[in-house]
Amino acid sequence: MQGASTGIVYGGLKYQARCIADVRADPDHTSFLAGTLSLKEENEVHLIRLSPSGNELLCEGLFYHQNEIWDLKSCPYDSRILSTVYTSGETYGASVWKIPEISSQSNSPQLDQLVSLDDHTAKIKSVLWWPLGKHDKLVTIDERNIFVWSIDSSNKIAKVISQESVGMLHNLSGGAWDPHDRNAVAAICDSSLQCWDLRTMKNANAIEHAHIRDVDYNPKKQHILATAEDEFGIRLWDLRMPKIPLKELPGHSHWTWAVRHNPEYDGLILSAGTDSTVNLWQVSVGSEDSAIDSPRDKRSRQIDPLLNSYTDYEDSIYGIAWSSQDPSVFASLSYDGRVVVESVKPYIQRK
Amino acid sequence: MAGVSSPPPMDEKAKRTRDLLASFYTNTSNSNSAAPSSPSAASNLTPRSPSSLDSINSPSFDASSYMSLLVQKSNLEGLLQKHVQMAAEIKNLDTDLQMLVYENYNKFISATDTIKRMKSNILGMETNMEQLLAKITSVQSKSDSVNTSLFEKREHIEKLHRSRNLLRKVQFIYDLPSRLNKCIKAEAYADAVRFFTGAKPIFEAYGDSSFQECKRASEEAINTVIQNLQEKLYSDSEPIEARAEAVVLLKQLNFPVDNLKTSLLEKLEDCLLKLEDESKDVSVGEISKTFRAYLIIFPDSEQRLIELAQGLFSRRYDAVRDQLKKRMLSVDLLELLGIIWEDVTTVDQVLPEAALPAYSLESTCSSIRQHISIAFSHLQHEISDAVAGSQSKSNEGRDELDLHIVLENSKKAAMQGSLDLLVELRQFFDEKLELLPKLRELITDWVQEGFQEFFQNLEKHFILLSGSSTNNCHLGESNHSGVLTQSPDKLPTGLVLVLSQLAVFIEQSVIPKITEEIAASFSGGGVRVYEYGPAFIPGEICRLFRSAGEKLLHLYINMKTRKISVVSKKRFTTPNWIKHKEPREVHMFVDILLQELEGVKIEVKQILPCGVIKRHRNSDSVGSGSTNSSRSHPNAMREDKLTRSNTQRARSQFLESHLAKLFEQKMEIFTKVEYTQESVISTVIKLCLKSLQEFVRLQTLNRSGYQQIQLDMEFLKAPLKQLVDDDDAAIDFLLKEVNNAAHERCLDPILLEAPILDKLISAKLVKNKDLSASPL
Repeated sequence: MQGASTGIVYGGLKYQARCIADVRADPDHTSFLAGTLSLKEENEVHLIRLSPSGNELLCEGLFYHQNEIWDLKSCPYDSRILSTVYTSGETYGASVWKIPEISSQSNSPQLDQLVSLDDHTAKIKSVLWWPLGKHDKLVTIDERNIFVWSIDSSNKIAKVISQESVGMLHNLSGGAWDPHDRNAVAAICDSSLQCWDLRTMKNANAIEHAHIRDVDYNPKKQHILATAEDEFGIRLWDLRMPKIPLKELPGHSHWTWAVRHNPEYDGLILSAGTDSTVNLWQVSVGSEDSAIDSPRDKRSRQIDPLLNSYTDYEDSIYGIAWSSQDPSVFASLSYDGRVVVESVKPYIQRK
Repeated sequence: MAGVSSPPPMDEKAKRTRDLLASFYTNTSNSNSAAPSSPSAASNLTPRSPSSLDSINSPSFDASSYMSLLVQKSNLEGLLQKHVQMAAEIKNLDTDLQMLVYENYNKFISATDTIKRMKSNILGMETNMEQLLAKITSVQSKSDSVNTSLFEKREHIEKLHRSRNLLRKVQFIYDLPSRLNKCIKAEAYADAVRFFTGAKPIFEAYGDSSFQECKRASEEAINTVIQNLQEKLYSDSEPIEARAEAVVLLKQLNFPVDNLKTSLLEKLEDCLLKLEDESKDVSVGEISKTFRAYLIIFPDSEQRLIELAQGLFSRRYDAVRDQLKKRMLSVDLLELLGIIWEDVTTVDQVLPEAALPAYSLESTCSSIRQHISIAFSHLQHEISDAVAGSQSKSNEGRDELDLHIVLENSKKAAMQGSLDLLVELRQFFDEKLELLPKLRELITDWVQEGFQEFFQNLEKHFILLSGSSTNNCHLGESNHSGVLTQSPDKLPTGLVLVLSQLAVFIEQSVIPKITEEIAASFSGGGVRVYEYGPAFIPGEICRLFRSAGEKLLHLYINMKTRKISVVSKKRFTTPNWIKHKEPREVHMFVDILLQELEGVKIEVKQILPCGVIKRHRNSDSVGSGSTNSSRSHPNAMREDKLTRSNTQRARSQFLESHLAKLFEQKMEIFTKVEYTQESVISTVIKLCLKSLQEFVRLQTLNRSGYQQIQLDMEFLKAPLKQLVDDDDAAIDFLLKEVNNAAHERCLDPILLEAPILDKLISAKLVKNKDLSASPL
């Protein structure tokens, strides 16, 4: 359990940071994008790549970004496109950027702004790409509304297709796009998780009475998603049965901030918390019946869903990302700007 | 020489002669068949015969070789002597032959004579025979004539005899009624029945014609007999043998005895039912006597009686079970079971086929088992009442719930209750009931299993009461035990702490005690362990309760921090921090926070023990994986006042704080919670301050906002340190962390000047004092 510093540390981020994203569209390298959060200085987006030998993290690109980055996503079908959500004082915005050719400008290249998503009237929380590939739509969530954009990156055009307000009583804080259904988006509301149907722009389904911080769909199994909550830690849900969770995991000693399913290994879940730890869980969902079969079996399952707890961090961790190029690798980003890449191979093999 | 050739003695000579004769008479055919072979035999013999002259008697005698041998061997004198001897022998043979012929001839002659004499005798017999035949014929004819002359008289005599017999029978039948009546008077029913059954065929044949009167009279008489017999049968005072006889007689009279039997048995059944209603009206001894009587009277009624007996006892056991549903002391149960057992043995002596002891054993087992399980569920009920019952009381009346009393009550309920239960159950062994030694092992097992299940259920119940589990699967079980009456959400947080402490108490005191007691009085058993799951395993239960205790403690902390977190969230998300106004006073939110923490302290003080005052040791954190760390950087704030140069300020600050962190020792925030007041309070405060830090990090502040937070944190310092006695450093550190977070998130981080800070804080203190001085 003692996560002695097995990870590869990247200390290139000079400021505090919250966001890290896997570059899904890069098929050849394990790369991540990390954005900093500095109120007063010019912020940076780092393109970090795991060296081919696998024991070093290299900075492949450093791009200036004027405002502090609260959300950063990499485009799932173009490795050079990314989206950010940013604030600066009282202003806020969201944009889609293109990474410039690295060779052209050597020193401090600026990101090319493709599109600015600025029809928002409330504070923007996150930008969502459809996670599995090319899709010409983009979803943005601000505190009050959900927007669906039609995006044309080559012509640098973005149009709002539809927009729906959730009303003054609710406060949206984030969401996730269902990888199995291009028309379903889960939005985190004050005390519930709402599943939106993008065709009708209606709230189709909801998990009530849950104060959720983060949500992630299971990429392998439809209808299954994981939530990170204040009260119950991590819970797994089947959206067809939104009343009772499938599983509960204890979560973290303080807030559980983020939760991510492994893109390849089913049941492998990563969570990060403000208690400066990253936890690796192994949960099997869907084999409920067989688990109940014999009490001994059940007991052994209950023994430890927690495979490992990585504790070698100095501050709260807000960003975690699995690499889709090598699914046994994940990157974590603590608030003090340290990126740590760890391999979970020893724990998978044990399974 | 002379010696050798001397004639053999007479015996030998006679024998030889006889042999020769015998061969002559008997073996004529043999000698004939042997004759052709003799030359070859003689030739075969020649090489040997010269050595002996004795072969003259053998069948293979060869005369020529004999001669030559003789001539060769003997001298003249010898030859002459031989010649004389031979001549004499030949002469002898001739005379012998003559003698034989003569004898046979004599015999033949006498036989011929005898035959001649027989012939003459037979001739005279025939005439005699003819005479005899004539005489016999005459005798026969005479006897026939006598017979015919006497025939008529004999016929007459026979007829007279028959009519006499008939008359006698008629007389008997005419006498029958009076005879029967006489029998009735003498109560000689057996004779009466014998007479009547004897007369019955006649009545059947001629009853309608000649003997009508007679038949009616005797039937009347026999009806009286039947009635009397029935009375006799029904009266319990009659001896059993007489009653049995009555039944036999009735059966002989073709009376429907089966009806009688059923009616009697029904009566018995009624009697048995009455026995239960008016408990001690008829003793079982009498009933068993009745059983025996009926068994003798109606030998074929055994099956029914067995049913009756079984029914009786199954009803009685049912009654016991009904009584068990109410709370019942072991002694009472034992008494009841003892009484029934005695009755069972009494009846069993009469009716061994009913297998009552086996049935009774089974029922006793099940009732004891039921008793044990009911006792345990009652105990659970009591304990949960001790916890939850007090809550409903407090809901009605005072708001202040005296948690200490609740804890003590429930502790007592758990400890005393389970000990009492053990003492009570031990009575099963003290009792001298015949049954119980057989059940000893079983009871031991049941008690152990009972404890195991009881503690498991109790733990589940605790968890359920605390409402930590959102899974509904537990609900069914607890409803089954009938304890859950309120929604688990309503349980006050204080009681969660009580439950937690109770779990620890059970783990540390109750279970060892129970284990000891069980080892003392309920050891052994283990007959059914492998089939029906484990009996009492204290280790497992201890583990269960230890984890439950920790779970509940964490739940308590969780509930408390969540409550505070909700307040904090409101505080930090509602105002617009970028347009915050200058701080005028300490924010109200601080009061609420302190009030909540004070509440925690009050609850914790009542329940948890004081911990050993322990200075926070940083070295503890080394190697403890569950703890997490952050570093304080006390210099950062002072230094940032100095570095005002705008250009590199933020970056240098960031680096500085990094550097500072490197040199600071790690500070534990999330230490392991112990069951002490200090530990729980400090954990709650630490978690709250950490939350504040996280909330601040999500905002962007202007200078006034920053100063407001600075003010609030400064104000919190003193009261928090008061709350946490031993961990000032941690509080300082965490408050500083909040300030740092605010600093980082502030657009224009300029601290409030110290005099203003002091002034505002003292103003707040005065205000608070005023409020507390003038109570509502």
